[in-house]
Amino acid sequence: MKLSDHIELAFSNLRKRKLRAFLTAFGVTIGIGALVSMVSFGKGMQKNVTESFRSLDLFNSIAVFAEDFMTRERFDPDERPPAAVPSGAGRVTLDDAAMEKIAALKGVETVFPEIRIPAIVRFNEKEEFRLVQVIPAKVVSSKAFRFSAGRGYGSDDENSLVLSKSFLRRLGVDDPETAVGKMVTISSIAFDFSRLNPLDLAAALGGEKLPFRMEDYDLTVVGVTESMTFAGPMPIQSDIFIPPGTSERMKKLPFSNIWDIFRAREGRLGYSALNVRLSSPAYVEPVKREVSEMGFQSFALADQFEEVQRGFLVMDMILAAVGMIAIVVASLGIVNTMVMSILERYSEIGIMKAVGASDRDIRRIFFFESSIIGSLGGVFGLALGWVVSGIINRVVNYFLARQGVPFIHYFSFPVWLCLGAVVFAVAVSLAAGIYPAMRAARVDPVRALRHD
Amino acid sequence: MIRISKLSKIYATAKVRVVALQDVTLSLEDGVFAAVTGASGSGKSTFLNLLGGLDTPTAGMIEVGGRKISEMNREELALYRRSGVGMIFQSFNLIPGRDALENVALPLIFAGIPKRERRKRSAEMLARVGLGERMRHRPSELSGGEQQRVAIARALINNPRVLLADEPTGNLDSRTAREIITLLAGLNRDQGLTVVLVTHEEALAGEFAHRGVRLHDGRVETQEKWR
Repeated sequence: MKLSDHIELAFSNLRKRKLRAFLTAFGVTIGIGALVSMVSFGKGMQKNVTESFRSLDLFNSIAVFAEDFMTRERFDPDERPPAAVPSGAGRVTLDDAAMEKIAALKGVETVFPEIRIPAIVRFNEKEEFRLVQVIPAKVVSSKAFRFSAGRGYGSDDENSLVLSKSFLRRLGVDDPETAVGKMVTISSIAFDFSRLNPLDLAAALGGEKLPFRMEDYDLTVVGVTESMTFAGPMPIQSDIFIPPGTSERMKKLPFSNIWDIFRAREGRLGYSALNVRLSSPAYVEPVKREVSEMGFQSFALADQFEEVQRGFLVMDMILAAVGMIAIVVASLGIVNTMVMSILERYSEIGIMKAVGASDRDIRRIFFFESSIIGSLGGVFGLALGWVVSGIINRVVNYFLARQGVPFIHYFSFPVWLCLGAVVFAVAVSLAAGIYPAMRAARVDPVRALRHD
Repeated sequence: MIRISKLSKIYATAKVRVVALQDVTLSLEDGVFAAVTGASGSGKSTFLNLLGGLDTPTAGMIEVGGRKISEMNREELALYRRSGVGMIFQSFNLIPGRDALENVALPLIFAGIPKRERRKRSAEMLARVGLGERMRHRPSELSGGEQQRVAIARALINNPRVLLADEPTGNLDSRTAREIITLLAGLNRDQGLTVVLVTHEEALAGEFAHRGVRLHDGRVETQEKWR
């Protein structure tokens, strides 16, 4: 039999039972649609994470710590390491000298200390508590920061700040443009030395008068970022940033967490961490090596990314498994339809055999029918998955946009997924067609032609 | 030449053993019009199915035109049915959803003949059996006699040397039955087609056939040369 005859015969047979062929193909459509949208969701998430990591320069960032940060069991900056750290004596200090040494390493673009200042931020007659991150002008102007209004500060001494769109929204401002140029008051907490006398201290222990006071600083908003931003490899997002020069002029507590206090008590000076930006991810390994030779610990997200990739693989497999359930059900539908079709066309099969159809011809006739059902289901399933995920994407983005989250494509349809879905649908339908085709080929013409 | 020797067919299930044919030995020369008669259950249809390659014998030998049918595998039998032999049946066995032309062209599909040629040859064949005007009619739109003509056209489309007819007139009125037998006799006479007709209408068969074979309980009862 010719291929064209097989295709023509299969279509004309399916046309004779349009509704059933349609319903069976629709089952495959739903199965493939489910699988495609599941997998494309997994791929979309992976793509978003990878791309945002890349665009935020996270692959070419390293965090450098004075002590063995990574051996701590939990990644909580407020917690002291469980293992007793030997006292500061004899240990290297993560100070300005160390910072300069690191900055001189090959491939290093910028080094800046990880400093976050606890402060009350006042704007638009509202106030919020925030950890204000100190970031050099150079980094704020890098591609890691995307502005929806304004720009980064021009120098490290400007009396200005940058905040995020979502934070601005919390402060009751919806249009970022209107905020640019306005003044924001940052109230840092500083020691009130006048209260550090024994009498007041006694009162302070009673909880009434702690030896602290607020220091107000008025800064101009120069830029509004699109989202909260990772400014270093530490996976802690910030939504308000000030230049280092301005930070130095502010009176503030010399620590932002309990750990800093312990460090200070042990007499260890310097920064708790440095953020290092490299010109390319290729420098991550050599710079990490140099830094560890200097006696510091380091952490790079690039190292963790393999783990993240493995996590995505597991997620993909789980999503695909859920999609597979629908495919299995759809393939049972094909088996059912084809077996029904054999029973109905029992005498027709006998006739075809009587006039010279070989077992192989009969097998192929049924294979072609099931694979046409499968490929139609595959193509329409792909379309369905695409349309449904498009709708979900729009709906989700519509609601998230109201909370200040920028538009994100949650689904990704790479070419291999589209082609793979159709090929997979055909493969599944061929597999589903094996039993019916074998059964059709085994039909005994004498029995099929006997009319009682 | 059709040569059959010691042909037996036994249907055996777990409980019953039915002997349909036993030790049938027979030979029919090329171009003969043979009538196989006998009561129901005498093994006529089984005989024809074995000759047509639809069924395989339990024992014995069948040879048609020098080819040993009894030794063929399934694939070879399909090829034999496709072009070595044509069959027609009491109930016509046309495919209901397809018109006369498509039914006649069916064997050509399995022979891998291109569509254009299939149409041309099928139309010619339908014209030869007197149905040139009704090619686009479906079986349900045709009379019994017309349906049997379509079946004859289909049986002959691959130019076999042998036509096997299993009670072709069983569902037809006597006038139409005579027309069909006349058509078969004409094909036998004009084209030298070997015709094996299974029937219980002995009178009608006797008018046209050259040879008569009577089966009884799976054995050849009599063999006569009529003309």
